[in-house]
Amino acid sequence: MTLLWIPLLTLLGVLVPALTARRGRGFCTLATVTLPAMALLLTLSQVPALLDGELPRVALSWIPSLGLDLAFRMDGLSLMFATLILGIGLLIILYAHFYLSAGEPYGRFYAYLVLFMLSMLGIVMADNLLLLWIFWELTSLSSFLLIGYWSHWTDARKGARMAMTVTGAGGLALLAGFLLLGDMVGSFDLGVVLSSADVILADPRYPVMLVLVLLGAFTKSAQFPFHFWLPHAMAAPTPVSAYLHSATMVKAGIFLMARLHPALGDSELWGWLVTLTGMTTFLYGAWFALLKTDLKAILAFSTVSHLGLVTALLGIGSPMAILAALFHILNHATFKGALFMSAGIIDHETGARELGKLGGLRRAMPITALLTTITAASMAGVPLLNGFLSKEMFFTETLDTALLGGLGWLLPVLATLGGILSVAYSLRLVHGVFFKPAKEVPPKSPHEPPRLMRAPVELLATLCVAVGLFPAALATGILDLATRAVLREPLDFHLAIWHGVNLPLVMSLAALAAGITAYGLHSNIRHFARQFAPIDARLVFEGTIQSLVARTQTLTHRLENGSLQRYMSLLLGTALLLATLGLVELPELAGDKPTQPLDAMLVLGSALMIFAALGTAITHRYRLISLLMLSVVGLVVSLTFARFSAPDLALTQLSVEVVTMILLMLALFFLPQKTPQESSASRIIRDLVLAGTLGMVVASLNYAVLTREIDSIAGFFIANSVPGGGGHNVVNVILVDFRGFDTLGEITVLALAGLAIFKLLNRLRLFMPHSDGEGRVWSPDRYPMILTTVSQALLPLALLVAAFIFLRGHNMPGGGFIAGLVTAVALILVYMARGVEWTQNRLDFPYQPVAIGGVAVATLTGLGSWLFGRPFLTSAFGHFHIPLVGDIELATAMLFDLGVYLAVVGATLMILANLGKLTTPHRPTKEAPAVSRKETPAPPSEEAPLILDTEKSQRPSKEKA
Amino acid sequence: MTLTMTHLMALLPLIVVCATAITVMLGIAWRRHHGGTAAVTVIGIVLTLAMLLPIWTMAPVEVPLLVVDGLALFAGAMILISSLTCAALAYVYLDNYPGPREEFYLLLLCAAAGGMVLAASRHLATLFVGLELLSMPLYGMLAYAFSERRSLEAGIKYFILSAAATAFLLFGMALLYAQVGRLDLPAVAAVLGERPTAWGLAGIGLLLVGLGFKLSIVPFHLWTPDVYEGAPGPAATFLASASKVAVFVVLLRLVLSTPAFQDDWLRGVLAVLALAGMLVGNLLALVQSNLKRLLGYSSIAHFGYLLVALVVGDGLATETSGVYLLTYLVTTLGAFGVVTLLSSSYSGEDTAALHHYRGLFWRRPYLTAVLTVSLLSLAGIPFTAGFIGKFYIIALGVEAERWWLVGGIIVGSAIGLYYYLRVMVTLYLVEPGMRRRDAPRDWGGRAGGVVVLGLALLVVMLGVYPAPMIEWVRLVEHITVR
Repeated sequence: MTLLWIPLLTLLGVLVPALTARRGRGFCTLATVTLPAMALLLTLSQVPALLDGELPRVALSWIPSLGLDLAFRMDGLSLMFATLILGIGLLIILYAHFYLSAGEPYGRFYAYLVLFMLSMLGIVMADNLLLLWIFWELTSLSSFLLIGYWSHWTDARKGARMAMTVTGAGGLALLAGFLLLGDMVGSFDLGVVLSSADVILADPRYPVMLVLVLLGAFTKSAQFPFHFWLPHAMAAPTPVSAYLHSATMVKAGIFLMARLHPALGDSELWGWLVTLTGMTTFLYGAWFALLKTDLKAILAFSTVSHLGLVTALLGIGSPMAILAALFHILNHATFKGALFMSAGIIDHETGARELGKLGGLRRAMPITALLTTITAASMAGVPLLNGFLSKEMFFTETLDTALLGGLGWLLPVLATLGGILSVAYSLRLVHGVFFKPAKEVPPKSPHEPPRLMRAPVELLATLCVAVGLFPAALATGILDLATRAVLREPLDFHLAIWHGVNLPLVMSLAALAAGITAYGLHSNIRHFARQFAPIDARLVFEGTIQSLVARTQTLTHRLENGSLQRYMSLLLGTALLLATLGLVELPELAGDKPTQPLDAMLVLGSALMIFAALGTAITHRYRLISLLMLSVVGLVVSLTFARFSAPDLALTQLSVEVVTMILLMLALFFLPQKTPQESSASRIIRDLVLAGTLGMVVASLNYAVLTREIDSIAGFFIANSVPGGGGHNVVNVILVDFRGFDTLGEITVLALAGLAIFKLLNRLRLFMPHSDGEGRVWSPDRYPMILTTVSQALLPLALLVAAFIFLRGHNMPGGGFIAGLVTAVALILVYMARGVEWTQNRLDFPYQPVAIGGVAVATLTGLGSWLFGRPFLTSAFGHFHIPLVGDIELATAMLFDLGVYLAVVGATLMILANLGKLTTPHRPTKEAPAVSRKETPAPPSEEAPLILDTEKSQRPSKEKA
Repeated sequence: MTLTMTHLMALLPLIVVCATAITVMLGIAWRRHHGGTAAVTVIGIVLTLAMLLPIWTMAPVEVPLLVVDGLALFAGAMILISSLTCAALAYVYLDNYPGPREEFYLLLLCAAAGGMVLAASRHLATLFVGLELLSMPLYGMLAYAFSERRSLEAGIKYFILSAAATAFLLFGMALLYAQVGRLDLPAVAAVLGERPTAWGLAGIGLLLVGLGFKLSIVPFHLWTPDVYEGAPGPAATFLASASKVAVFVVLLRLVLSTPAFQDDWLRGVLAVLALAGMLVGNLLALVQSNLKRLLGYSSIAHFGYLLVALVVGDGLATETSGVYLLTYLVTTLGAFGVVTLLSSSYSGEDTAALHHYRGLFWRRPYLTAVLTVSLLSLAGIPFTAGFIGKFYIIALGVEAERWWLVGGIIVGSAIGLYYYLRVMVTLYLVEPGMRRRDAPRDWGGRAGGVVVLGLALLVVMLGVYPAPMIEWVRLVEHITVR
């Protein structure tokens, strides 16, 4: 359980600065330091157990269904990294205490820093791949917070976002890789994964998994070509840079590779990918470190370069290479941490970070100069310092590896080249800042920093020298533990300064000499480099994003310009595509069902229909013509029904057609009389093409369906109409008997709709337009004589016909629905001929009770069957003989039909008569339109201003809704 | 069949929701009272939610048109929770609304009933009726603030496009019917078999158009940003949560129950649609300067991820979709809740432009925390609910070895991270002289505020300890009728 306390203490440590921030800075720093320090002690207390060869681990179940456990382990590798993280972390907190200016919210800063410490600790201690990944993401998140700490600064925000995006994407790839790895091994437990290398290597999915995992590691450790985020993350405060980019964040990727090396490392692919990426990064970083002028940028690129070095070593993968990699990780953390902090001191005390503005600081800051020189020399690999030792080992390994085969000589050459460059940039850094005469006076007068601010640097520099001088005594212990964890067996090694004169030593010395020369030729190199267009990674990243943004903007404009027509055409187009794809799969369009013979009537009818439909669309701006065309379509449709022996449908269609047409005319009458031309020619063509192809595809599909045998339910109704419903007219029997309940619902809806329209139109008054679209004045004779006479003669006839149709409905074409429509049409004709007022004086009853009465009759008929103990709407029928009239069949369905009849008449008249009543002969007063326009949200059109009954309507908008 | 007590019990939630709707309607006719109407709505929904528990034990129950099984109950619970949230938000949002306020709850309840029918449908007729009952009230809700140009536009756009999509859906159903001769899903599944005939395939394709439109799957997504932007906050919330969940559940049911959906051709189509959704949604979200539009695009992307579950379509797919839907729902409700709360004290356009959110942290820190948590969850950061969902989807993709889709998820999520971060950073900026649009001071004490805070808590809880949720979803899968 001790193990659990290490992250737990750090977790609690996150809260401490937030709680103590108010009690002064010194107190806050001290309080913040306490818990991580305890965690460090705990970590070190594990050493004896490790030396005994134990593996302390602790596991708690967290989300077992995902395979995620709260499991920690502490092997040598974890120990080494945890010590590094906590130790350097503590130094950084101390350093930050002096670095941050008084006004800055240090509590927040400490909290972020400890949070980051926690997430790094989690990574190195996790004993479960998923747990490791979660902490991995947490480092991205907390580093985002740290890098963006100066959030008022755009560069900081951009740098933070870039770091987060790149490492976040890598993190997702890593997650996919881990999931795959877990799938191969069958567990996310690290112990299991590490011991099943053979299973993993044999799996065919190994390459995919490896690439995914390495993507994660490379993005995190800023390996080429994902290195670009690191230099821009330098916008962070220097303590953050020192911590994230020397000891922790970027080492996470390296750690991961070291951690998984036993499981994944034993393959050609690993060697190639990792070594080459590492070497490329090593050279690339070193080259740019030489060219940069900003102190932190130089350090950033040198970090990239050194990370590449370690990566290359891990790629080579021999036991000694692993040892060298781990050793270099330690050394790099010490000298780079110190260097970053020195850079921070210089920045802090002089106010400048540009090499061009600095110079000759050795007089003002002699101690800092000394410390920086030592650490930079260690970075360059000067003998007697720790950097020399690990670099020497690196050279040895490049000589020993068999990786590139015949091209094997390439690696040492490249390594030496990298060595030369790193000597050059280290020299340039030190010389430029401290020894070269200053070109200009720095913004602040330079002086030595506070004693304690320098203390961390002093400590680290001392370590550099001490380890450099006595490697065997100081580093062997921890390295032994760490290598044992990676290699899974003890490695017999001996760290020493002097190995005799051999090739690596020659390489080192050559690098030193050439490096010094290179620095001498530095201006020439810079001159040479200037000939190439500088590739600023941030510009590339931002440029990529900007061009992406620009491209998406074009795409957005093209796709989403807010035009409904465009959306619709895209929707139709896609649906068309899907339907067409289905159609293409059809081997043959026509099925085996024989087609009906084609005769002249049919051809004529369909031609007429097509023509009329086209006409409707083409003339839609000329309303009357368009409506006439539409009525032709309706007429032909009803004729078609008649032709194919569906007289009921024909009759219904005919009467519905008439009523609809009147409704349309009434409604359109009040709308603006002119329809503006909206479509451009190209749009018309687009619409034509779309409509045409859509029509063809749908028609083809219909044809395909109709020419094949279909299992239809029609047979049942035909067979059961007479025995079950007592009627020969199948349609009517279906309506009033088999599907009586549906019909009841429908007439209820109809009556409700009528009521709603009645209510909505009740108080609405519209001014009658005086002319049509072409400016012709409507006829002043509103009630023409002929129509009046004809309508009067027609009314009784129509009513008679309605009664006839109603009565014969059960056996012959007809029924309540059609009869209702016929009645309604006849009455409407009277309305039209005589005017609303005249008619209403004579037809002095409201229609609402009629409609509701109809629904009530139908419902009561249905309920009636309950009296006889039958289910709702059971029908009964019988034959009666009435003298003179003859044999007559009566069915309860007839009563039901009466309800339908009444409901249809009532609802239709309610709708039409009310629409007809809308007009008012009174012209609007001057104020009225203005008032109404102010109150109504959608301004009414010019031609038909809205006039409202002002005494009743308080909320005009409600009426319109 | 005869209706037994069990059947009646199973249908009781639906009946109660409908009864609440009728009560609300009659209440409005009798006397207008905003608080009363909202209270009745909330009580009705809570009652229904409570009722789901005992029904849970008797599931699955099948009636000819509906099936009350794990999936239906799961979707029902999510729809009800979203409706509850919307009702609470609407109560705050409509408080200053000049027009009639009570009808909103009526529409909300009707839509919720539609969603429940849809999720429980095992017949093409109920599928259609449910879909329409869900959509029709939504038109009204979207255009509820019809004196706002954008709201009206949103309503009309959704209405017209939706009508067109429904036409395709119906045509698809007709084609299926022509081949199968039945309308109930088990029969359709049985007759279509493994390999449907060509026009059966066309029918399924058209069905997909209709449902894909509602889910705003690319390329049927075009309405999404416009409608999200224009719609009043609570309506947009409902559209983004309950409506999507219901439609997705029915699509999932179709895919799982109909072997024809596992056809290679259709899987290919689904995979392409998924990939397009992830990429297009995330890419277009990059350039948005309006939070509601951004959330619209992000929902397109999220449903792109979710489609992966349908592409894979095996046993783990139900669990994955369940977890993902749940986490997405909670997160979306939280994000939209904040937008709605911020807009509530303004009559007029909603507070959605990003510059309204500049420095929100310094004015309303807790509300900002809620929004931050929601955005983190949408981005799929660990310790939030969204991470669990994303984990499941990636795991599913990896297991099925759909590398293209996994790649799409990774690239899409990376882009997503970028624009979610942009919004998050905006929240914490300090800029003088900005136009201030704030939530009312006492937002935390209001119904909507409480709900939003609860949601944020839930997002974190589900992210840290998702085990109960996963157990629940597994249980759902267990009692789902195949």
